[in-house]
Amino acid sequence: MPDQKPETVRLTIDGTTVAVPKGTLVIEAARRVGVMIPHFCYHPKLKPDANCRMCLVEVEKMPKLQTACSTPVAEGMAVRTATTTVDDAHKSVLEFILANHPLDCPVCDQGGKCDLQDFSHQYTPTTSRFTETKRIFQKEYFSPLIETQMNRCVQCLRCVRYCDEIMDVKALAPVGRGTMTEIKHFGPHELDCEFCGGCIQICPVGAITSRLSMYEYRPWMLKRADTICTFCGDGCRITVQTKGNELIEVNSAHGAGRNNGDLCARGFFGFHASSDADRLTHPLIRREGKLVEATWEDALEYVAEQALRLKLAHSADAFGGLITSRCTNEDLYVFQKFMRQVIGTNRIDSSARYGHLNGVQALRRVQGTHRWTIAFEDIVAANALLLVGTNITETSPITGLKVKEAVKKRQASLVTMEALQPAIDTLSNITNLALQHFPTHPAQFGNTVLGLTKAVIEGNLVDATLAQQAPAFVQRLTSALQGISWENLEAVTGQTRTQWTETAKILAGANRLVILVGNGVLRHPGGDATVTNLLDLLILLGKLDKPGCGLGPLAEENNDQGAVEMGAVAEFFPGPAPLDDQPVRDRIATVWREELPRTPGASLTEMLAAANKGSLKALFVVGENPVGTLPAEAQAAEALGKLDLLVCQELFLTETAAMAHVVLPACSYMEKDGTFTNSEGHVQGVRQAINPVGDSRPDWEMFSALSVLMGSPLEYGDAREILKEIRTVIPGYGLLGPTPTPPKVDQAVLSGYLTQGFAGDAATRYAVSQPRQTGDGSFTLMFVQTLFHSGKLSTHSKGLLQLQQEGFLSINPEDAARLDLADGGQVKVSNSRGAITTTVKIRERVPAGLLWFPEHFDGEAKQLAEWTIDPRTQIPYFKLAHVSLAKVS
Amino acid sequence: MPKYEPILLKNMLQPGYTGSLAEYERAGGYQAIRKVLGKVSPADVTAVVMKSGLRGRGGAGFPTGVKWGFLPKDYQGPRYLCCNADESEPGTFKDRQLIERDPHQLLEGMLLACYAIGAASSYIYIRGEFVLGAKILEQAINEARAAGYVGKNIFGSNTTIDIWVHRGAGAYICGEETALLESLEGKRGLPRVKPPFPATHGLYNKPTVVNNVETLANLPHILNRGAEWFASIGSPPKSTGTRVFCVSGHVARPGNYEVPMGITFRELIYEQAGGMRSDKKLKAFIPGGASAPFLTPDHLDVKLDFESVALAGSMLGSGGVTVMEEGTDMVWAALRLMEFFYHESCGKCSPCREGSSWLVQIMRRIVNKRGQLADLETLTDLCKNIAGRTVCAFGDAEVSPILSTLKHWRHEYVAMIHAAEAANLIRPEPVGAKQ
Ligand SMILES: Cc1cc2nc3c(=O)[nH]c(=O)nc-3n(C[C@H](O)[C@H](O)[C@H](O)COP(=O)(O)O)c2cc1C
Ligand code: SF4
Ligand code: SF4
Ligand code: SF4
Ligand code: FES
Repeated sequence: MPDQKPETVRLTIDGTTVAVPKGTLVIEAARRVGVMIPHFCYHPKLKPDANCRMCLVEVEKMPKLQTACSTPVAEGMAVRTATTTVDDAHKSVLEFILANHPLDCPVCDQGGKCDLQDFSHQYTPTTSRFTETKRIFQKEYFSPLIETQMNRCVQCLRCVRYCDEIMDVKALAPVGRGTMTEIKHFGPHELDCEFCGGCIQICPVGAITSRLSMYEYRPWMLKRADTICTFCGDGCRITVQTKGNELIEVNSAHGAGRNNGDLCARGFFGFHASSDADRLTHPLIRREGKLVEATWEDALEYVAEQALRLKLAHSADAFGGLITSRCTNEDLYVFQKFMRQVIGTNRIDSSARYGHLNGVQALRRVQGTHRWTIAFEDIVAANALLLVGTNITETSPITGLKVKEAVKKRQASLVTMEALQPAIDTLSNITNLALQHFPTHPAQFGNTVLGLTKAVIEGNLVDATLAQQAPAFVQRLTSALQGISWENLEAVTGQTRTQWTETAKILAGANRLVILVGNGVLRHPGGDATVTNLLDLLILLGKLDKPGCGLGPLAEENNDQGAVEMGAVAEFFPGPAPLDDQPVRDRIATVWREELPRTPGASLTEMLAAANKGSLKALFVVGENPVGTLPAEAQAAEALGKLDLLVCQELFLTETAAMAHVVLPACSYMEKDGTFTNSEGHVQGVRQAINPVGDSRPDWEMFSALSVLMGSPLEYGDAREILKEIRTVIPGYGLLGPTPTPPKVDQAVLSGYLTQGFAGDAATRYAVSQPRQTGDGSFTLMFVQTLFHSGKLSTHSKGLLQLQQEGFLSINPEDAARLDLADGGQVKVSNSRGAITTTVKIRERVPAGLLWFPEHFDGEAKQLAEWTIDPRTQIPYFKLAHVSLAKVS
Repeated sequence: MPKYEPILLKNMLQPGYTGSLAEYERAGGYQAIRKVLGKVSPADVTAVVMKSGLRGRGGAGFPTGVKWGFLPKDYQGPRYLCCNADESEPGTFKDRQLIERDPHQLLEGMLLACYAIGAASSYIYIRGEFVLGAKILEQAINEARAAGYVGKNIFGSNTTIDIWVHRGAGAYICGEETALLESLEGKRGLPRVKPPFPATHGLYNKPTVVNNVETLANLPHILNRGAEWFASIGSPPKSTGTRVFCVSGHVARPGNYEVPMGITFRELIYEQAGGMRSDKKLKAFIPGGASAPFLTPDHLDVKLDFESVALAGSMLGSGGVTVMEEGTDMVWAALRLMEFFYHESCGKCSPCREGSSWLVQIMRRIVNKRGQLADLETLTDLCKNIAGRTVCAFGDAEVSPILSTLKHWRHEYVAMIHAAEAANLIRPEPVGAKQ
């Protein structure tokens, strides 16, 4: 956080003296002394627009009343908010605002939480002088999820300003003039935007509302639970509102959580995933080849018996466990404890394997932390930001808002390396805000970063003290990069030396430099090397351990970070601590009162291979769906088919669950307590909002029950007790305050890295990686995450399905023109692995030569994906394919 | 021979004057800028303008040199000049003539202003309906550019000054300077909240001066003939120079008349504009465009300068003098203007947006013989609640027709309402604000 102390100004509000920082608005200063000045258009997030005129106050020595929302405080200012003049002004402005208002409160969803209602109650007589004809807008269909009732609009433009200033989407605009000013979207079609719900949240009246909850409730009927969104690593605070046991609405109060009350479409409109009719409600046991309903007793006893039998017949390492990082820390912890203590194996893995581990491993190696050394506040306060392979708006929308704020409000310099190009369309596009943008092919992130590092070294921008302190490091990198010619780099990446040089200067000149790395890097081959090289870049610039500087890998799933920290991966105990960390092993053993297994762990792909070979006999799968997620080449179905025991704890009957011997219905995030740890390492409370659907149970409870039946009880009364145990195993773990305290760079680890650690793979990390030759088509198909979905979970949400319900191929307009493909037309996508036919969507933001397909709907399309396993990290990569296209007429 | 020496209209009053570059130069044009460029410092140019006492001709009458002086001195980035040619005030049509008949006079004025404030780019924001004016300006700029008077290194100096024409799209509010800037930036033309003022945060958030066409057209003459000369004209010290008054309505010879400030309305109407068009007497006049409160025959001897008109309870505004004869229905006249303001309220702020529609509906009712006495109180009240509480000065303007007619001709309102009551037309159906 910026450490400058702002100047203070003293003024009086209704006679009370208050000291506030210079630049504070009168309305905010008044709030500090408990004086609420009525307002509509003012919102602390937005630039003052002073259009509603509701907040007029008297300011001594000023002839006219002033708008408190736009007037900054001044030394010695005397403000009066309670005089008759002011009161009359409030009354008259409100009278104007109400003149054309329909007063249809009885059928308005805002009724009971409406600023207009509240102020009217306070200021206006019960009868109105307005006896003329009210203005009426023609009702128009707006969109499937957002509803407008423009007759209620008070034209405060909060929605329009939010959509522009905060979201950078600019989907809304006032249309028409005077009283006929109506909030509309652009184009002769329904609203097409990011559907973040921000306009609904910020509208002070009932003019913009959610269709998901339309006419369903009155605010006072609702019960509220503050919890955390499950759809991405940003970890937004949401308030879930329920009526009876029914999910009605999700919103987020201004200022709440790390998201400051902002949400994305998934958080705002995605909550129905939990109440989908397809939810599993009863345990299922396979009897005579078919899954049939069973009682919990039968199902658990069956699993316990089989597990004990298999453990006797084989070894503990004939077992494996796989868990989704959507689970709470408590679930993840009990899962790994069950596998390690009750079963006795380290053969466990989680979805953090797919990419997040790449980031964590690099951080551990270079700076000795497993978390970011920065927080969201540092993104906002950064002078320069470098985004590498993030497509941040679609993957981590709220972290994206922090970047937008830094650029738009605080003039930070933004550099983007993205497989994306600037274009104006219905979603915001972070590259539109970039000072320097490197359109990067998904296989070229590593090389593009090399160019930047080379430019830093050759531009003499290396930190002077570093060259003295770590000469070997600097020399090694210098010589490696000098060995790479600019021509070569320019040829493989398509970037220019000038741009690298310019960018290097921008980064070097920034006092506060933040690098964010996304799935484009983390989930692709070479991911850990690229992250390591970016950390090298920070070191070279002398910024790795400077305040406000650092690198943050963006987690895809809401608790990827927690999964690693809970030790729900093959290579880590809780901490995370490597399996050979003896002190940690001892500490955990004391808490568990049992030795921890000594045999090596096995990752997802190793477990699949072992199952295929027949050495893995039993697998516990929690919320993961390898059969549905991995391409055919991974042979997940074959492997799982060979198991003697496959137990799935699931919300839905997935492809994997359909193969199981026993399926146990699990609670979703809406139905349980616990904690999630977000991308930036902030541990946040998850609170139950509804009763468990059907007979479902939290995942930890199932392991706890099994452990009892298997004779080594892991018993906990509730999630809080588990967290307590986690705290003894990982000292200090648990709920943090409103902001995280990021760890500091571990200087011992850093100096170890600089003297020796870097050297081992420096040769490979600092060599130009040549593009793979596949013999397949010339287009690179990327399986991408989209804004409207998260994994496959969100495809159970009726709201989100209205925004996007099937796969389609996004293609650049020039490529489409060349192949004579029309928007909405059909195209055949093929390579040596197979072929699919899908719909074309022409989008300028897709760089030429690239194609995007949403991974959430990759069903058939998955077969096209290339399958590679990094031999060192065991990370499987399957998000790219090389394909040819042919028009289908 | 006109009674007063025309300054701004001088060239165009010459028979056959086409306003081409060659003719403008033959008439002594582009001498002021030549005299000044590189020879007189920008600060000295500003000082001359300040000394001349020139005040803005767009409506508010702000001293031009003082406005220029508000630009931050040490600011390194770009600065802009915007010429306000949006002239949409009902009864005002002087800028149009200045543009169409002598475009280079304006261009030279802009060059001088740009030079003084250090702007390399300037824009003429011209009312969309002025198709001819825009075309003429484009041609004139092309001529000047070809001659090396506009663009890079003008007149062989190392000064760069460019001028661009931007056409409005039909909104009166875009004449308000900050709405003009928004519109110029490609946004919806809504007034900005002030402060900050354009002098520090103007076009693209850069220091900017907005000046009216007539204001700028005065500059070449001031620089040619000196501040003292200019300051001696009119009614010094506060209202110097001439003004082009646009006389319209029930006069014998409507048109633009350039006279020194300080002559009386009587002289302007009866001597310059030929008096009333028929033997009907003068009943009312608007002294400075539709935004200025109505005056009565009692005010005919008020002097046409900023202070005197203000003292009489109105304003000199844009210089549009609209004359109404006996028999004019003042309630109807106020409604007519109210319809204009209702139509043009941009809708940004509640009192003006809602108030204009409320006012116009009451006025329509009264004129349609469905008024009640209580309406008069409501009208007064609403007007009071609008004025001074809006984002821009439009709010003050829109209430002036009603307030001033109520002040001087309340009996006409009352008579109309009584007639309605007598006819027993008790508000069967209000007149709607359908659009
Ligand atoms: C509603 C409204 C409309 C205006 N329209 C015009 C206009 O059409 N032309 C103009 O020059 N000034 C107009 N003005 C005044 C401008 O805001 C501004 O004061 C003027 O252009 C400044 O130039 P000046 O100092 O040279 O007079 C208008 C002001 C308001 C409040
Ligand atoms: S829709 Fe709501 S937020 Fe938008 S302008 Fe109208 S009242 Fe304000
Ligand atoms: S998906 Fe991510 S960004 Fe969207 S609301 Fe949930 S946590 Fe926030
Ligand atoms: S006073 Fe009228 S014209 Fe001016 S900003 Fe407000 S609504 Fe717009
Ligand atoms: S809250 Fe201040 S004008 Fe709207």
